[in-house]
Amino acid sequence: MEATSVPLPAAAVELPAWRANLATIAALMARAKNELLRVPGAAIPGVLAPTIFFLGLNGVFGGLIQLRGFDTGSYEAFIVPVSMLQGAGFTGAAAGVNLARDIEAGWLDRLLVSPAPRWVLLAGTVLAASARALIPATFVLAIALLLGADFPGIDGLLICYFMVAAMAAVAACWGSFLALRFKSQSAAPLMQAGMMALILTTTAYAPLALLSPWLQKVAEVNPVTEVVEAARQGFVGSVTWAGTWPGLLALAGMLAVLGFLALRQMRRTAL
Amino acid sequence: MADAIVVNGLERAFGEVHAVQGIDLTVAEGEIYAFLGPNGAGKTTTVRMLTTLLLPTGGAATVAGRDVVKEARAVRASIGVALQEAALDPLMTGRELIRLQATLQGIPTAEGRRRADDLLERVDLAAAADRRVGTYSGGMQRRLDLAAALVHEPRVLFLDEPTTGLDPVSRKTIWEEVRALNDAGTTVFLTTQYLEEADQLADDVAIIDSGRIVAEGSPDSLKAEFGNPHIQLHLADGSVAEAEAVLAPLGKLLPPRDGRCVEVEVPNGAADIPRVVRALDEAGIAVESLELVRPTLDDVFVSKTGYHLEEESEENAEKAPVDG
Amino acid sequence: MSALATNARVVKALGMRSVRQTFRRPQLIAPIIVFPTVLLAIQTGGASAAVNLPGFPPVESFLQFMLAGAMMQALMLAGNSGGIALAVDIEMGFTDRLFSAPIPRFAIVLGRLAGTAALGLFSALWFLAIGLIFGASIEAGVAGALLAIVLVTASALAVGGIGAAIALRTGSASVVQGLFPLVLVVLFLSSAFFPQELMIEPAKTIAEYNPLSFIVEGIREPMISGIDATDTLYAVLAILGIVIAGLLLSARALRHRLRVG
Repeated sequence: MEATSVPLPAAAVELPAWRANLATIAALMARAKNELLRVPGAAIPGVLAPTIFFLGLNGVFGGLIQLRGFDTGSYEAFIVPVSMLQGAGFTGAAAGVNLARDIEAGWLDRLLVSPAPRWVLLAGTVLAASARALIPATFVLAIALLLGADFPGIDGLLICYFMVAAMAAVAACWGSFLALRFKSQSAAPLMQAGMMALILTTTAYAPLALLSPWLQKVAEVNPVTEVVEAARQGFVGSVTWAGTWPGLLALAGMLAVLGFLALRQMRRTAL
Repeated sequence: MADAIVVNGLERAFGEVHAVQGIDLTVAEGEIYAFLGPNGAGKTTTVRMLTTLLLPTGGAATVAGRDVVKEARAVRASIGVALQEAALDPLMTGRELIRLQATLQGIPTAEGRRRADDLLERVDLAAAADRRVGTYSGGMQRRLDLAAALVHEPRVLFLDEPTTGLDPVSRKTIWEEVRALNDAGTTVFLTTQYLEEADQLADDVAIIDSGRIVAEGSPDSLKAEFGNPHIQLHLADGSVAEAEAVLAPLGKLLPPRDGRCVEVEVPNGAADIPRVVRALDEAGIAVESLELVRPTLDDVFVSKTGYHLEEESEENAEKAPVDG
Repeated sequence: MSALATNARVVKALGMRSVRQTFRRPQLIAPIIVFPTVLLAIQTGGASAAVNLPGFPPVESFLQFMLAGAMMQALMLAGNSGGIALAVDIEMGFTDRLFSAPIPRFAIVLGRLAGTAALGLFSALWFLAIGLIFGASIEAGVAGALLAIVLVTASALAVGGIGAAIALRTGSASVVQGLFPLVLVVLFLSSAFFPQELMIEPAKTIAEYNPLSFIVEGIREPMISGIDATDTLYAVLAILGIVIAGLLLSARALRHRLRVG
């Protein structure tokens, strides 16, 4: 009996490793966007949560701006980068929840049984979250500008967006680690709450000097504080390298640690 | 011909539970090999170890000549897998799924698209190819899963309970496809809880129970262990002793089950029926009914495990927990 | 046995089921208690300098101010989760079993509310304990604590009625769950987390008329200064208003549910 198609020799068919890896990452990112485009209303919670927090925090705690210690006269400007980062945390954690759902449905087995390297599989999830986080970030920013916050300048905007994308990647590594560890969507609250706590135990609400003593200590050691400060630069003043590199370093460090944990867990899952 | 799968003393324990307790088997290239056993016997655990999804806690195995632990990635490049849970994404279309699988296997885009089209045609899903998988029936999903497993033309194909839960028509379709693949040279390792499936498809069958292989061989050789076919006769009148006296020269008499039933093992199966009937007729013994009984894999299973496979599976299906 | 006594037994039985359900699954309670606690810690730590703002009510600490808001948040989440539980009952068909029994239909709602009230009571006790552990005292003493507990429990009942109404109307757990952000919105638009006079427009005006603000003030006053008859009265009236709204909506939704099946 003849085969339907004449099989080509393997060498002629397969791509060099780097091209295959890129193609796989692109394909996984393309799949990730299906949830946004093919499930009605799926994008709403991710956009709604940080927006509600932004408007709520501004309406409730806006009076704090009268206190001495703020570099700016606008509480909107002060907290909008926080809300954008919250959106990133939420999006990244949601990527973890999606991974948990994929694990429960057996979909991850399909990926694990393929010859694609594990880091490639993880990169697909993480990069998709980074890209997706720009949506709520833009929405919150637009609302803030409408409410009268000053435009942060091109440099401030780019730095902020970069921080948002990178923070989403950190959150996606965290969510993926938990998903692979517990193999269940019931870990979702831990994914979300962990990120929320991480982002808010910083100079989110007020400058360091105005925080209560215990939170000051936490914010001083929390790497996300550097990220918040770096993202906030353009909104409250001017962008400098000195104000940026600590945030970059913090992100690199968190990505390294959480990325390592997630990758290790993925390798353990397969075995 | 090299062996496609070689397993030596493979073990897997989950804490106190020993799901697989030292399995040895060899699957020759180009064979269809079936793992037959009830739920919980260790079939899926074994498949997961051979497809590098699970690390063995003892023993070793090679697939397509590569060690499943030390050369896992090379193994993955050589195998196609369709697992028990058809691992599909309901939001994707069938075509998108096979194209994604092609990308995962490192196949260039244009070639991947061509193969996807071919495979969809082959498993009769061309018409539904651009519909979302979530709208497919169970049979369609299994066919899609099978097509995706074939996109890189693997040397060894693993099918974990490929027809469980399917209606008889869908089951037959899958069987035809498996036979066609095997004819084209693919080695197939399948697990099943259906006797008929193992009987119909497999060149070799291993019966697994509680993590151990309790019998192995071709379906015919396994059944032959339990003797030849026998004819079971229910007498309308006349005594069993008389009938036995008439039939003794024609074959081996089996112990009677009750006062009206005679069983004789005959060497030529159905071809011996006319002789038997004629002999009884000439002796004036009337027969109410007659049945030719062939040993089945279930007989083999019962003798090795002490229970029937199909009943066990039905009971397990009834007892299956409802997720809450 | 009189009809009233029979009905009371039914409500009690359903109520006990509801309470057992609530407390047997810690992973469901945790978000209702843990989330407001974490938020309490963060907001107290982050915005504590607010006590220095001109016009801020005289308090011992920002924590003392915030406790009422945390309780409010917990009881709102409890009401939401009670609604989810009822919706799950509807989806699973358990309510059909109840509807076909010779019990008054409204007993089903009342029984569910018992679980929500229990959760409200628990959260009141929890946050009082947190407050005392972290150094916030209750100015009105034991009487103030008891008043807070009563108001919180009653509010949980009231909000639970709204949650039940939504569950009966939609019959879908995921819809009720999707209303969770709304809980936060309504709280932000009240004086739960900040004195209403010091909020920013338009939140300030909305908070002035938000019934939740009256309830929060009623719970807060005994803690930061003392029991005030006017504040307590407004709180009770607000709770009653929500109770009545909840009852009316639930009754209508119940009729709708019985009609559509």
